[in-house]
Amino acid sequence: MTDDSLSIGISAPGRKPVFNGPALFWFVICALPVVAVCLPLGLFLATGFWHVDNGTMVPALSLDNYVNFFSNPTYVSVLLQTLTLAAEVAAGNMLIGFGIAYFIWRCPPVWHFPLLVLGTIPLLMSYIIKLYALRSILGNNGFLNQALVAVGLFDKASDLFLFNQTSILITMGIIYLPFSILPIYLTLERIPLSLLHASADLGGSAWQTFRHVTLPCSLPGTVVGGMFSLILALGDFVTPQMVGGVKGFTFGRLIWSQFGMAFDWPFGAAMATILLVLSIGVIVIAGAIIKRTEAI
Amino acid sequence: MKNRLASLIASAALTAVVAFSASARAEELRILTWEGYADDQWVKEFEKQTGATVKISYTGSVDEIFAKMEGSKGADFDVVAIETSSYKRLYEQKLIQPLDLAKLPNYKNLSDVFQHIDSIQFDGKPYAAPYAWGSLPLIYDKKAFPTPPDSWAVLWDPQYAGHVLAMDDANNEISTAAMVLGFKNPFNLSDAEFAAVKKKLLEQKANVLSYYAGFDDGISIFAQNDVSLMFSMGEPQVGMLQKKGVDAAMTIPKEGAIGWIDCWTISSATKNVELAHKWIDFMLEKRVGTYISTQTGYGNTTDPEANQKIGLTYADKLVFFQPPEDPKRRVALWNEIKATPVQ
Repeated sequence: MTDDSLSIGISAPGRKPVFNGPALFWFVICALPVVAVCLPLGLFLATGFWHVDNGTMVPALSLDNYVNFFSNPTYVSVLLQTLTLAAEVAAGNMLIGFGIAYFIWRCPPVWHFPLLVLGTIPLLMSYIIKLYALRSILGNNGFLNQALVAVGLFDKASDLFLFNQTSILITMGIIYLPFSILPIYLTLERIPLSLLHASADLGGSAWQTFRHVTLPCSLPGTVVGGMFSLILALGDFVTPQMVGGVKGFTFGRLIWSQFGMAFDWPFGAAMATILLVLSIGVIVIAGAIIKRTEAI
Repeated sequence: MKNRLASLIASAALTAVVAFSASARAEELRILTWEGYADDQWVKEFEKQTGATVKISYTGSVDEIFAKMEGSKGADFDVVAIETSSYKRLYEQKLIQPLDLAKLPNYKNLSDVFQHIDSIQFDGKPYAAPYAWGSLPLIYDKKAFPTPPDSWAVLWDPQYAGHVLAMDDANNEISTAAMVLGFKNPFNLSDAEFAAVKKKLLEQKANVLSYYAGFDDGISIFAQNDVSLMFSMGEPQVGMLQKKGVDAAMTIPKEGAIGWIDCWTISSATKNVELAHKWIDFMLEKRVGTYISTQTGYGNTTDPEANQKIGLTYADKLVFFQPPEDPKRRVALWNEIKATPVQ
């Protein structure tokens, strides 16, 4: 690197710098996302159009992987079931997340930060450890069953809480809840208190204030909170597998299975592209909803 | 003048010595293997014996071995340890070369079962030397089974519905089901056999509590739930379960079980065929086999007594991994089975 490259637009008279500072600065700023994000992403999009021949990937473009996917009822139904599951998780987390965020917001301000930290501290823990922990709580010999038997609610340990649809919902809900609480709390906090006071001054009941002021004002955060849970649940290939028993087969696992022995990276990449498009779709829809509420 | 000559000669001699020792040091053996297979004590001894230096790269998966070998066309490594079913692909991609048995006096140490493994022979030549082996046995809880179950059929017995753990692995599930159905080669199925296996595995699904993925996953589900039977990923799971307080034991049912063998092979682009053979010959010494069994709990191929001591006496009842007829088809079938709801 020469001195020129470091100078910030100052150069010897009559000589043009090869690089001037801002140019280099912008080059680095632009190169980083190109190299770290766009290239890998582009490569994986491209791989989706390739195929495997005799153990090696052939970069010949075709739509075969996509045709295979959409013409196979098993794959399409796995995708639809995963979408339903993710939507259920998102709906649950929007409700519960709103409840918790609202509670924190209504507490005395001095409590806000500690409570928020409490609500999000699970994010600091490894995801796999949380899964193992939840499984040991929900299992047949687990804490929940032991407690229920101990207090006499159950005669004997039950298989109700693990390796079924319920356990997938409970576990995904718990794991992704912090992602819903945070954005909802942030929008609630931004509602000016004067608005709430004005509503009360004009004779609005607590319910009316909530219904016509708090709820609409916090809607963008609530939508984002639900969106986070939805997208995270959509791509999760570990949680359903680990807590859902034979019902824990999801789209993420289908993608995962194309690597390793199957060695069908192109098909895996094509399905990952479908997941990516769906996720972008969710973001676009969420964006549209937010825009509409803000217009009102 | 004399002095000057002497110093000239001396410096020339010194240069020669340095050059010689440099070339001796350049003898390097590059090994690609799993952890536990090229332990320090053996590496040090080998380095002392041969004067070569050994550089080991550890791998975490078969995929990684292929990626590394294909990436350099084999030039980055001299010897590799890999499992039998991968050899066809390595051979077809010309990444390995046949062994010269004349350079492997210890080859005769191999027990009979390991002298002629089909999946590592091509054009009538051996391409690898078997080193360590194990099985995918049936693990059971002694509380539920005072005597070991004698057939894989227990996994289908409705009496144990909800107490059975199966494995989330297309190849292992399909091959074992094929063995239960008595098909001749569980790694090469016909269309009709594929259909029968699918039906069989769907029936099993109704009995299964969960499909586990990975050694630890299986152990934790077994220990935390009312599980009696597990299609196991390997012998070490028995000890892991016992540590968790489960009275577990393993058996090889009468239909047999899948077995794996890790074998040493030589890269096609090795820089030092001699040294690579020396390493493999060293690994076939009986005391190395003894060490493998006592240290890792896996079977060895050269010391039957050491196998006996840890209970690995059933190599002849195993069907060792071969490359499946169509891996993609197996994965697709397994996905279909997993996606089909059970009543």
